[in-house]
Order: sequence, then C-alpha cells, then structure tokens
Amino acid sequence: MIEFSQVSKKYYSLTALQDINLTIPRGEVVGLLGPNGAGKTTLIKLIAGIINPTSGEVRATSEGTWPSIGYKPERLIFPGNLITSQYLGMIAGLCNVGREQKDNAVLESLARVNLLAAANKQIKTLSKGMRQRLGLAQAIIGDPDLLLLDEPSSGLDPEGQDEIQTFLEELRIAGKTILMSTHQLPEVTKVCTYLIILKDGKVLYQNPMAEALTLRPHVAIQVDRPLDGAKQLLMMVHNDITVDGNEVILRDEAIGMRRQVLSILINQGFDIVRVEQRRVTLAEIYAEAIQ
Amino acid sequence: MIQRILILTGYFVKNVFFSLTGLILLILSLAFWAILFPPGQGTPDIENYIILIGALGAAATFMTTLATCARAARMEHYPMLVRLPSRVEYLTAVFLSSLVLGLFMQLLVAGLALIRGPELSVSHLLMIPPIWLSIDLLAVILAMHATDLVTAGWSRVILFGLLALALVLNSASSSPESWFPERLDDLAELFSRVNLMWFSDLAYSASSWAYDSPLSGLTRFAGILFWPFRAMTDAVLAGGFTPSQALAPAVVMLYGAILFLIAATLFAGKDLEFLE
Repeated sequence: MIEFSQVSKKYYSLTALQDINLTIPRGEVVGLLGPNGAGKTTLIKLIAGIINPTSGEVRATSEGTWPSIGYKPERLIFPGNLITSQYLGMIAGLCNVGREQKDNAVLESLARVNLLAAANKQIKTLSKGMRQRLGLAQAIIGDPDLLLLDEPSSGLDPEGQDEIQTFLEELRIAGKTILMSTHQLPEVTKVCTYLIILKDGKVLYQNPMAEALTLRPHVAIQVDRPLDGAKQLLMMVHNDITVDGNEVILRDEAIGMRRQVLSILINQGFDIVRVEQRRVTLAEIYAEAIQ
Repeated sequence: MIQRILILTGYFVKNVFFSLTGLILLILSLAFWAILFPPGQGTPDIENYIILIGALGAAATFMTTLATCARAARMEHYPMLVRLPSRVEYLTAVFLSSLVLGLFMQLLVAGLALIRGPELSVSHLLMIPPIWLSIDLLAVILAMHATDLVTAGWSRVILFGLLALALVLNSASSSPESWFPERLDDLAELFSRVNLMWFSDLAYSASSWAYDSPLSGLTRFAGILFWPFRAMTDAVLAGGFTPSQALAPAVVMLYGAILFLIAATLFAGKDLEFLE
C-alpha cells in the first residue's frame, strides 16, 4: 500500500529517521514497536502528510494509488466546545460522506467504539477513556483505506485496553489496513499481522508476524532446582546452550544435543520436570532487536 | 472540494467568532466606530467614510487572520487536515473564514456609521465593494504570511523586508532622480558636522553616483507597484473611477492572488508542527 524508499527525516541536528526502506502491505495490521524516541511517531506523521521527508520518498506501492487516511494522534486534543456527534459529523463531511449518510456514519462509528452514550455530550466533558474512543471513532469514520493509530490504548485501564484490542481485532477481521505504534507487546501479539521494530531512526526488523513467531524454535528443559552448579558443564557442551534459573535452553544446532544434555543433568542428580519445544516470543524478538 | 472548504470555513468562523479573541475584535471595531463616527456628531463626508472604513476593513481582516491562523495551527486539527486531499484546501478555508470575519466587522461599522452619516449615492455604492474587498483580500493574505501557519524559514522576513523596501522606494517615487542623492547629501552633512570626514566624503561620493544610478529606476518601479492604492484614493476623492483607475482593484486582487500562490506553496511544502 505504502512504501518508504531511503527516507530520512532530520529536525535540525537530530536525525529522527535514517535511510528507511519499508513497506506497509495492504490488508495487514502492522505493529510498530520501538523504544521512546525511536521514530515511530515521525514515521506515522510522514504517512499522514503532516511532515515531509528530508530525503527519500514516501509513495504508494506500484499496484495502488495513495490511500485515504484516518489518523488518531498520540496526544488526543479535540475542539472541546463541540458536541461529540457534531465533531464526528464534521470529520465525516471532510471525507465526502453525503448529507443523508452523515448521521448514520456518525452513529455507526460511535457504536463501534461503544461511545453512543456520549453522542450529545460536549467533548470537554468526556473522560480520558472516552476521548481515546472518540479518537478511534473519528479515525474510522468515512471508512478510510488506511488507519494510522499512534498508541491507541495508551493511558487506559486494563478494561479499556481490552476493549480497544477487541475493536482492533474486529478491524483486522474486516480486512482493514492499520499501522499502529504501541508499547503494549500483548496487544501486538493479539492484534497485529505484521511487525516493524524501529530503534534510533532505523528499521531493525520487519516481517509478517506469523513468520516472526515461528522463527528460531528452541528446546527448554526444566529441572527441579536451580542449575547454578551445572551451568559451566552444560555451557561447555555447545555455545548455543543457555542456562536460566532451573531451565536449560537449547537453540539451533544445540537442539540435536538434547540427549547428551539430559544425560548430564540426570548424572548430576537433577530431576527432569519438563522438556518442551518452544518458539521465540515477541518479547524476545523485541529485546534482541533493540539490544 | 467545495464541501470540505465550506465545512472548514464554517468551523473556523464559529471557532474564532465565539471566542475571547472574537469578542475583543468586535469591541475594537465598535470602539473604532464610536471614536471616528460618533452618532451625535454625524459624518457628512463620504470620502472619509469610504477611506476610514476601508482602513478599518484592512485592519480587521489582518487581525482576524492572525487569530484564525493561530487557531488553525493547533494540534486538534491534525485529524481534519489528514482527511483533506490537499493542504491548500485547509489554507483556503483559513483564508475565507478570515475574510468573512473581517468583512463582518467592516460591514457592521459601515452600517452603524450611516446613522446620521453620509448619504450614499448609487455611484458610491458601486465604487465601494471593489475597493474594500480588494484591500481586505490583500490584508488577509499579508497577515497569513506573517503567521507561523504559513511562514517557512525566513519567508516572512524576506516578504515584509521587501515590502518595507518597496514602501521606502515608493516614498521616493515622486522625485526619483533626486530623492536618494538628497538623502545621501543629508547624511554627508551629518557626518561632516560630527567631524567624521572619511564617512562624509564617502556619502558625498555615493550621492554623486546615485544621480546616475539604477536606483531612480527602482523608485519608479516602486511607484508603479503602489499605483493601484493611489488610484483608488484618487477615485474616492474624485467621486468616481476613471477607466484606468477602475483597473486598480483588479491589480490589487492580482497582488493578492500572487501572494496567495506563494503562501500555498510554502504551506504545502512545510512541516506542520502544530501547537497544543
């Protein structure tokens, strides 16, 4: 849908993004991860057209035209004096929703984010959670091709976060293209189908989520007590063996040595509690990428 | 496109008008009326009426544009801006809303000033709209260039610097050959009085050079640049336009169109780092 070609963005001497090449594929829910200051918001603002790249190009991919965009900024500020439905009606008008369909579009978007009760309230009287939902409602109104959601569930209580996750899952099932930046790894695991990790303005990782989570299978052997005494012995067997508490992790080539490791553990007097084959977790991918 | 521009225009008009800034501008306009057109005194002079309310219109549109641009450059408008296919639509809405608000203030005072004021003939009624509208339009666009919404880099310094230079040159346009040399002679005189002879000689040399320099051409050019404003004032004082003077409002609108194109280009190419 959208691709970045050698895109850099500088604010005076600060480089926010550096030589970025990436693609936002159509129909995917893209999770944008990275520590604070990684360039996530800058990347979203570039797609939204709020800022321009210092060099390089942000363009529609060859198969399509530039998409219509709904944007929920990280900091939610609204014209406080407007009534919720008035505000949404105005946004609907800006995306060419006809006069006859406008009321329906407003009600539909309010219903989707569970905010119908606030339809006739002044925006300044809404709670933080309601404002987050209003931010999402204004982003989805008019059915834009691409949703840019900058930290959609930040500042919400766990219940509010669950509601937002459910809402995002519904959008994913409906086939919407979404780019969302977040610090919530469970949210990304649950909702996203594509993963981009940024750090210091560079793309460290970009892959479909399914592919990312099938990466690097490993075997974990759990024993009955901490392995401190046997740690040196086990790590001498192979470089890809790591010991963490009462667990031995065998990665890559070391997986083939599990019999040898098991016999060492038994000879050392450990009881084997569990042996299981695991996949890498999102937290591990993220931690490894940003280190 | 028109629907989007009209929606935003309506929004900005309401946003500014029903705010403290809107109230202050309204009070200032009424104060202008009360001071310059006191109903007890009456204002029989039609020329004064046209010129003073024309000046008020320019000032009012300038102020409303500053207020509208300040509001338009707030973060709360990102979601609206993102929905537009072109940023120029946003700028056009800001332009139209500033013009509407400025015109409202102007027409309010114009209406009030007719209380025991001058009687307007049909020829005056035909003459007023192009004069007031063209001046208001130019004031809006100049004010836009003065705001953070439009300005990019040194653009406002360059534009208003050039405008100031053109005004200085224009004041010299009545005697283009001698104005600069005479100013330089004055400067040389001043230096010689404080015994800075080297600077004084330099100013005298510059003065002799200035008699035959291209500066006189520049002053003539500035004179041409400001011709429409002189032509409109002359027409008001004469009570009607001559055929050539009738072009003046159109020329002012052309200036406005050129400046709007520059504003649109600057706005389309800049980073929109709006404030809370």
